Amino acid sequence: MGDKGFFTDTTVCIGCKACEVACKEWNQLPDDGFHFTGMSYDNTGHLGASTWRHVAFVERPAPLQQQDSGLGNFSWLLHSDVCKHCERAGCLEACPTGAIVRTEFGSVYVQPDVCNGCGYCVSACPFGVIDRRADDGRAWKCTLCYDRLKDDQTPACAKACPTSSIQFGDLAELRERAQERVEKLHEGGVTDAYLYGESAASQPGTAGLHAFFLLVDKPEVYNLPPDPVVPTAKSKEAWRSMGLAGLGLAALAVGAALFGRAGGGA
Amino acid sequence: MSFLFPADSSDRAQTRDGRNVDEKLGALQGEGAHQDIRRARIDSAFPLPEAGRGEKTAPTLQGGATPDYYGQPLLKETVWTWMIPAYFFVGGLAGASSAFGGAVQLFGGGKLKRLERQLRWVGAAGDMASAALLIADLGRPARFLNMLRVFRPTSPMNVGTWILSGSGACNTVSALLASQERGPLKRIGDAASLGAGVLGVPLAGYTAVLLSNTAVPVWQHARRSLPLLFTASSVSCAGALMQLLPGHSPAERRAVRLFAAAGMLAELAAGVLLEREAHLASGSGLPAATDPVAKPLHHGASGALWKAAKVLTVGALALTVMPQRRRTTRFTAGALGLAAGLCTRFAIFHAGKKSARDPQASFQAQRAGMGAAELAEAPRSFRLLVLR
Amino acid sequence: MAECHPVGFRWVMEAKRRGATIIHVDPRFTRTSAVADLHVPIRAGTDIAFLGGIIRYIIENERYFKEYVVNYTNAPAVIKEGFKDAEDLSGMFSGWDMQEGYYKIQSWQYEGVEDVIAAAGHKEVFAQPGAGGPGEPRSEHITFEHHDFSLQNPRCVFQILKRHYARYTPEMVEQICGIPKEQFLKVAEALCKNSGRERTSAFCYAVGWTQHTVGVQYIRTAAIIQLLLGNIGRPGGGIMALRGHASIQGSTDIPTLFNLLPGYLPMPHAKHAKNLADYTKSNESGSAWWSEFPKYIVSLLKAYFGDAARKENDYLFDHLPRLTGNHSHMTTVANMADGKLQGYFVMGENPVVGSVNGALQRKGLRNLKWLVVRDFALTETAEFWRKGPEIESGAVKPEDIQTEIFFFPAASHTEKDGSYTNTQRMLQWHHKAVEPQGDCRSELHFMFHLGKRLKALYADSKDPKDTPIQALTWDYPTQGPHADPDAEAVLFEINGFSMGSREPVSGYKELKDDGSTACGCWIYSGCYKDGQNQPARREPAMAQSWVAPEWGWAWPDNRRLLYNRASADLEGKPWSERKKYVWWDAQKQKWTGFDEPDFIADRPPSYRPEKGAEGLATISGIDPFIMQADGKGWLFAPSGVLDGPLPTHYEPQESPVPNLLYKQQCNPVRHEWRRKDNPYHRAWDDPRFPYVITTFRLTEHHTGGGMTRWLSWLSELQPELFCEVSPELAAQVGLQPGGWCTVTTARAEIECRVLVTERIKPLRMGRRTVHQIGLPYHWGYVGRVTGDIVNDLIGFVSDPNVNIQESKALTGNIVPGRLSRNRRAAVDGPLVPLMNGHHRDLPGSGPHPEEPAQEKIESMAKEPEKLLPAPEEE
Repeated sequence: MGDKGFFTDTTVCIGCKACEVACKEWNQLPDDGFHFTGMSYDNTGHLGASTWRHVAFVERPAPLQQQDSGLGNFSWLLHSDVCKHCERAGCLEACPTGAIVRTEFGSVYVQPDVCNGCGYCVSACPFGVIDRRADDGRAWKCTLCYDRLKDDQTPACAKACPTSSIQFGDLAELRERAQERVEKLHEGGVTDAYLYGESAASQPGTAGLHAFFLLVDKPEVYNLPPDPVVPTAKSKEAWRSMGLAGLGLAALAVGAALFGRAGGGA
Repeated sequence: MSFLFPADSSDRAQTRDGRNVDEKLGALQGEGAHQDIRRARIDSAFPLPEAGRGEKTAPTLQGGATPDYYGQPLLKETVWTWMIPAYFFVGGLAGASSAFGGAVQLFGGGKLKRLERQLRWVGAAGDMASAALLIADLGRPARFLNMLRVFRPTSPMNVGTWILSGSGACNTVSALLASQERGPLKRIGDAASLGAGVLGVPLAGYTAVLLSNTAVPVWQHARRSLPLLFTASSVSCAGALMQLLPGHSPAERRAVRLFAAAGMLAELAAGVLLEREAHLASGSGLPAATDPVAKPLHHGASGALWKAAKVLTVGALALTVMPQRRRTTRFTAGALGLAAGLCTRFAIFHAGKKSARDPQASFQAQRAGMGAAELAEAPRSFRLLVLR
Repeated sequence: MAECHPVGFRWVMEAKRRGATIIHVDPRFTRTSAVADLHVPIRAGTDIAFLGGIIRYIIENERYFKEYVVNYTNAPAVIKEGFKDAEDLSGMFSGWDMQEGYYKIQSWQYEGVEDVIAAAGHKEVFAQPGAGGPGEPRSEHITFEHHDFSLQNPRCVFQILKRHYARYTPEMVEQICGIPKEQFLKVAEALCKNSGRERTSAFCYAVGWTQHTVGVQYIRTAAIIQLLLGNIGRPGGGIMALRGHASIQGSTDIPTLFNLLPGYLPMPHAKHAKNLADYTKSNESGSAWWSEFPKYIVSLLKAYFGDAARKENDYLFDHLPRLTGNHSHMTTVANMADGKLQGYFVMGENPVVGSVNGALQRKGLRNLKWLVVRDFALTETAEFWRKGPEIESGAVKPEDIQTEIFFFPAASHTEKDGSYTNTQRMLQWHHKAVEPQGDCRSELHFMFHLGKRLKALYADSKDPKDTPIQALTWDYPTQGPHADPDAEAVLFEINGFSMGSREPVSGYKELKDDGSTACGCWIYSGCYKDGQNQPARREPAMAQSWVAPEWGWAWPDNRRLLYNRASADLEGKPWSERKKYVWWDAQKQKWTGFDEPDFIADRPPSYRPEKGAEGLATISGIDPFIMQADGKGWLFAPSGVLDGPLPTHYEPQESPVPNLLYKQQCNPVRHEWRRKDNPYHRAWDDPRFPYVITTFRLTEHHTGGGMTRWLSWLSELQPELFCEVSPELAAQVGLQPGGWCTVTTARAEIECRVLVTERIKPLRMGRRTVHQIGLPYHWGYVGRVTGDIVNDLIGFVSDPNVNIQESKALTGNIVPGRLSRNRRAAVDGPLVPLMNGHHRDLPGSGPHPEEPAQEKIESMAKEPEKLLPAPEEE
């Protein structure tokens, strides 16, 4: 069995947004309002409580390797973003109620019947994925189609993707496949291609992502952090500092008490 | 683009929640079908330009040394409301008060009785108010007990909830039994007070760890100095509040003034440290006012609040340290100190919101090695690999 | 293709993965371009110049597949002496009849031949001479004595072709299309390098090619290229027409076109088809496959009228309606606007948004007595009486509209049985999943029950005009709670059956012309072979050959690649092992291969017809194009297209620039509607409308938006109408990114958001810079998300061969800001005074020869053959 995940190969994405729609349709999510953003063809903007797949459109003033755009320095990067289901997940480690759990498939799942909407996970996610819906009160995000996985089915987005940009399967197998794809691209002259988050070695901050990507530009261009880290990995320093401050507080409290007592007079 | 006639009735059912599922025909069994929608609107954590308001977004051009995705935020802004920084203030105050109360009980030599009683009540009231604020800010307040479902040490919020619960219980007992002069009840009350005192120490400063344990740049990168700041601020607020309360003996006043002044001084020092820590994180080399991580402390509402906090703290410190011959001095010192504490908490809170909104804060800090590369265990080769 | 056929595009991505080169030619850089190897920005409306340039490149550099061209195309055929090309007549061909306003095509014919019939295309719509003739039996006159296999004869097709495209140089392409020379050469070279024995290249196109006044000629140009390169009838080659809807191929096969009967049989014309014999004579060919024509029409009549159709009564041929002229959409709507029509059925269509000149469409609807609309939601067409620009502005009041409107809610595709026919001619059966709710019913249900009621209504009538309805066979079994006609029964009838035994036929070869067989559509015959619903087959790809013939069923005869005889050489051996497809098995004396061979099964490659042979016997062993009278691929089309035997670059009706190649600016045979409510801009250089406008589609929405703008999940992806403009144009005009702008033509004004993008770049054509504006046309005034109707901007003007609208290239203007008052549309006249002075046509030429230009011209040539260029006037 093993852990499942997504490998999203952005070099074959055609930006059709079938993944966005399939996700909404399967999960029966509400819409997020109708607003024209002027950000290329991205009128969704971001992942959120009711958008669990989001296609990014990057019009950039740089050519794509092996492509003649006819427009000089120009290319259009297309990228289907999703919850990364980190191996070490910021949201999971921050959740105080234990609503966010890791499933038997290795995915990160928010139990809507437990979540009390404290919103801590929202600030703890280094990718800005999970969000709390204001009128519902709870936090929501991609479930990696947990209900479909339990029935041995493929997640809706991977099922709908016409070009197999989104590939679903065993994580180990996906990682192998991804590596081969990168090698093939490099051989073909697309040396900018690399994998993002495919292992703990390349992304120690999250210990690797269950939903990793093949990109051809800096992560920032796709609105992904270059070096994300689960906040808890750094919390030791904060606790230590708090401990120090606490000692100071205790010492001061004692000192002030003694001081007061000493100058008390009759 | 509204037209003269109202939407067709055929569409009325569908405009309710944008799910396009007629309940009479289709089963609402999707994961998102549980989402309760009162109105169809975009999520507020990432404001996008709304149609018709004529807002413009920069066109397309990516590239350059510090790219981002159309200036869009990377992170989600915190969903917390004013109640949370208010809780930082109230809870921190309560925690420092409890700690002081415990110390006074043990080392006061019986001379600081009134102070001790006041501290117990402040602690109890503060804990109650804290709980109320926290519960009210939840998305689903009715489920507040779920906080105590698990004990999760990785989550400062969970740890804090336990601390607050414990502290609240102890403080309530200790406050109710505060007027006991002798006997077993007094001993219980004293023990509770000590318990609250011990718990009050972390209560005074753990909220900083809560903030640091997020992806928000200005919070995360200031994680060494933020607990110092919050603890100090808790102390100074507790001291300030005490200066407002009447009926203290000279001994009590001395204790209070030392407590408050030390707290205020520490707060100022910690503030300086925090600014430095935040400034150095991004490695941008820019002056603090334009540095992406430190910017929120120097600009806008959060910048104004931060400045106000410093000014008010200095004022409160001055009035605390100088001989307080008149009651007005004490009151003013107390009021300024409380105001300073409020400003500090709200400044940090709003700075965090702003910091989350700025993608460059995260990107540049990470490029400067302040992401996972900062971890001791991150391999050297990784550090070279990721930062291309 | 990635935008409009994302699921089909997966195969392009698979091809790319296997090493194919993807070249995308489009005015805009789209999601297809994002994954293509090469994108070529082109000025909308100039593809014939571009493709013509490629033809010239192929010929000049001798890159054509010689053996294929000499033997499988009509390159060696010699054309009559009197033929004059566009090179001789400033853009016109010989045969222009000034009186009638179209070409008489005798001078285009092969030497020694009176008329040669085309497989498709006009045969009698306008009673074209030549189009109406029987076509010569090939053996008589279309013989080798009038061919030059060395391709040197100056009047042979090859040399005519060469001369016709001689001036389509790379420099000319740059001037006309705005494509830099190096890029053009890159494309031409890539194409040539990837064609020939070992490799083939494919073209895919959609309405960016067809929706022009020269739309059909665009396709012809591509066909010429593919024939020259030897790419037709070979795997990985050919030309794929990407249709615009899921089953629009099916809707032309079993047609909803006014001039076609099922299977592309022509609709009889009142003047030229007085009886069945007349009609058959007009349309059959003495030679090649079209000689089988009588079997198809008789079987169709038997399907319509059953036993009542007998030889004695001409199989009730008289019951078929007749054409009296052009009844295409725009002509009909113009007649509607003039009060000449009473009623209109609009089923699954939204002409107010999807067709052009919405103001005129709505005017037409206002002048009807009754209107029936069938759709999922109240579309703009159904709501025209209370919403729309005219209503908003107060120019028209709902209480003044007398049209009675009936709205019937339609069942969706999951609520009915039926087949789809997609872009590759494949039928796929869809099974009903749920019963439709409420009053929703399928089209089949509607038409069937309507027909039943009409039959009942007229059952006792003595009026002769009611006999066709009385005679119709209308007896499909029904099922279910709503008495739904059995769709499979309809499929069975379409397949065809023997009248006696009621057994299904296994293909069109079993159809007879003696009334013993019935068949609803001869090209679909075989879809119910062996009594099995062939389109319902779903054999997985892994379980069958790479051609996958057991998934669905393709017409004709489950043949997946047409004209595949051309994949083998003169001896019947594949041109290469790599591109093997069908071949002659000398052992078994029959054609075999990976697909149904598109040839007479047992005809050896060595067969040559004898003198006097007729019908199918005229097809030689090396005639892959069995539908044509001479069995060859037509580089030069002696008949079948109204606007010239060779594609010629004409500018669109409205262009920023004059035609650099010829004095004849536009297609002389185009259809115009010169009406006050259909104003045209100046032919070129209209100072009020200096920019090129082109329309396009987005993945997120579908055509007029009737199926998508009611769904929130799709609407939120593209919520508002926007235009795409380059940063240069935005700076020039003062457009704010993300802001508002107003786009105008003489026909309408619309407002939309501004998307500033580098994907639509200004084109440098010589010393000129031409800006293009892209507009997606999905929005209308009803739905979850609404917006202005883009196609209101476009005027009625069409290609003459198939009457397609020209919506992909026009001119217009753009200014920043929203409309300060209600948007306007040209209800009674143009929105701005128009400017004349530039001629779209040479004197005596064009759709209105009696008034050859909008201004009077002094002299006109008397004899059509001697048309001279007009005197310099600019």
